[in-house]
Amino acid sequence: MAIPKAERLMNLALCLMNARRPLSKRELRASIEAYASLDGGPGGADEAAFNRMFERDKEDLRELGLVIETGESPLDGETGYLAKRASNRLPELALAAEEAAALALAARVWQQARLAGAASGALQKLRAAGAFGNNGGAAEGSPAREEEGRATVLEPRIPAHEPSFDKLMLAARERRPVTFAYRRSGAPEPGTRTVEPWALECWHGHWYLAGFDRDREDARVFKLSRIVGQVRTRSGGFTAEVPAHVDVREHVARFAGEGATATARVRLRRGVGWPLRTKALAEKSAEGEWDEVELPYGHGLAADLAEFGADVLVLGPEELRAEVLAHLRAAAGVKGAETA
Amino acid sequence: MSNAIDQTRRLLSLVTYLRERPGARVAEVARAFNITEAELMGDLAVLPMCGTSFRGGDLLDIDTDGERIWWHNADAADTVARPLRIAADEATALLVAARAVADLPGLRRGDREALARAVAKLETAAGDAASGSSRLNVTFEAEGSAFAEADRALSERRRLWLRYYSYGRDEITEREVDPIRLVTVGHTYLEGFCRRAEERRLFRLDRVVEIKVLETPADPPPVRLRDLPDYAAGLVQPAEDDPVVVLEVGPGGRWVTEYFAHDAAEELPDGGLRITLRAAEPANLRKLALRLGADGRVVSPPELADEVREVAERALAAYGES
Repeated sequence: MAIPKAERLMNLALCLMNARRPLSKRELRASIEAYASLDGGPGGADEAAFNRMFERDKEDLRELGLVIETGESPLDGETGYLAKRASNRLPELALAAEEAAALALAARVWQQARLAGAASGALQKLRAAGAFGNNGGAAEGSPAREEEGRATVLEPRIPAHEPSFDKLMLAARERRPVTFAYRRSGAPEPGTRTVEPWALECWHGHWYLAGFDRDREDARVFKLSRIVGQVRTRSGGFTAEVPAHVDVREHVARFAGEGATATARVRLRRGVGWPLRTKALAEKSAEGEWDEVELPYGHGLAADLAEFGADVLVLGPEELRAEVLAHLRAAAGVKGAETA
Repeated sequence: MSNAIDQTRRLLSLVTYLRERPGARVAEVARAFNITEAELMGDLAVLPMCGTSFRGGDLLDIDTDGERIWWHNADAADTVARPLRIAADEATALLVAARAVADLPGLRRGDREALARAVAKLETAAGDAASGSSRLNVTFEAEGSAFAEADRALSERRRLWLRYYSYGRDEITEREVDPIRLVTVGHTYLEGFCRRAEERRLFRLDRVVEIKVLETPADPPPVRLRDLPDYAAGLVQPAEDDPVVVLEVGPGGRWVTEYFAHDAAEELPDGGLRITLRAAEPANLRKLALRLGADGRVVSPPELADEVREVAERALAAYGES
């Protein structure tokens, strides 16, 4: 039966952590059963397979936080590896019970697999290190308990189902340019974009990427759910300067119509349209069953108004009236509405 | 969630943990690591296969009788049992989440302060590994005042009175609700037992028009947290018997799939989509069709398509068109 991957990774980690000098690949292969049992032996047919496996394992250990340094193995003069104690030690860290409980709540908000695993792994690490007190958080009045009590009050969740999330997070962290196919709102076909990723932001439950769009030579914001297919990392570094402060929300909010440029006047049937009324600049009763309301007029208002059908009547400006009429004509199936 | 990387991470922590606690109890260790006892036993089966060299006979001599865990050569393993530094992913995961939670309006002051202290300590301990966390930001929309009242009702176990806006019916109704918990998935929701509907319901806090904490003690039917839905797959889970609706949208209406749970979305030749979904409240879809205008239409059921057309015609009549 094949040796489980976790066992192989664990053995590699322990060998590297226990080493007092750099260990060459050859030495590691001889020490670790999962490698030694690969058919062929050094120089054999599976040398390439071992090399690939070893490189991947090293990357995996780095992902979970092990700092692996390289040097020359004194035994055979080849490149050797070791994980020095000084580079891998957790500094002293002591958390009070309520701090630990707060952190435990935060650790549970991720739904994205990689970060959910990292968050609970970090808690285990802190608990093992005694950062939550010496009972390890398993006794009376411990974080584990308070965690449970706290959960009755607030259950925040960060969604991240977009497959591009992992790659973009790493690229932004390592400052590497990426290429992906992106479907702009309303565009029939996706187009290729090359972007220097700055930051990812989750707003209203959706993820956005802000970065420098190389083809448009300007900052742009992308919605992750509109990325089609794979994100590819490109060689080379960033060409544009990364701003000290990246405001993804401001950009998205402007697009969502929160940056109004004019004022609209509409009639609203009494008692309906509460969401519109919460945005109203002014509101007064008009004749019959109508109220007259002034609204900030920005991108997207026509669609917001069309939803209310016959309960809304646009008084002005003319441009907004025409837009709402176009929505209604299309919905009523009036001929030629598509070109309105 | 037990992939090899997560398990390796856990095994390394387990080694640190066990070295400090000879004879640790299986039940306690499982609880501390937030895993089942079966998962822990699985880990304990892997550890004796691990060592600094399988040929040197220096494998970790860890065993268990199912109740307690013993490590017989722990002293020899000093170098591998030291607490490990925080990795970049781990720092990102904890710090980004902690900052988002700390920014929730309506969070209790004591909790907010504790979280801020924890974040500061963690940033220091993580060092360079913490820097990547500034590339991610999460904002929860929690609707401050409604949140604070709902939170107070929860901690004092009292009933809430709400004026609540129903989106589909475009009306405001009054209701009394026994709060169960607050859930944040993009927007923040109050989950509670609605005394009007006599059912568990979700209320979006930004649709709460008015809220008051009543003197009446809350009396929701007993429910265990673990029995409540996780909402991981979205808040609105259509039921099997909800009516099936088919929409066709143009390229400008593709966003519908991002906001509505749907069963299928087929590509159309013009770059649009044919979307099949089940709707608990068809009124929501009538509003959606009006919002889409030329970017979409209801294909079926015909009654819904007719309803959209009638509403649009009535609206047009008010503008002097018919």
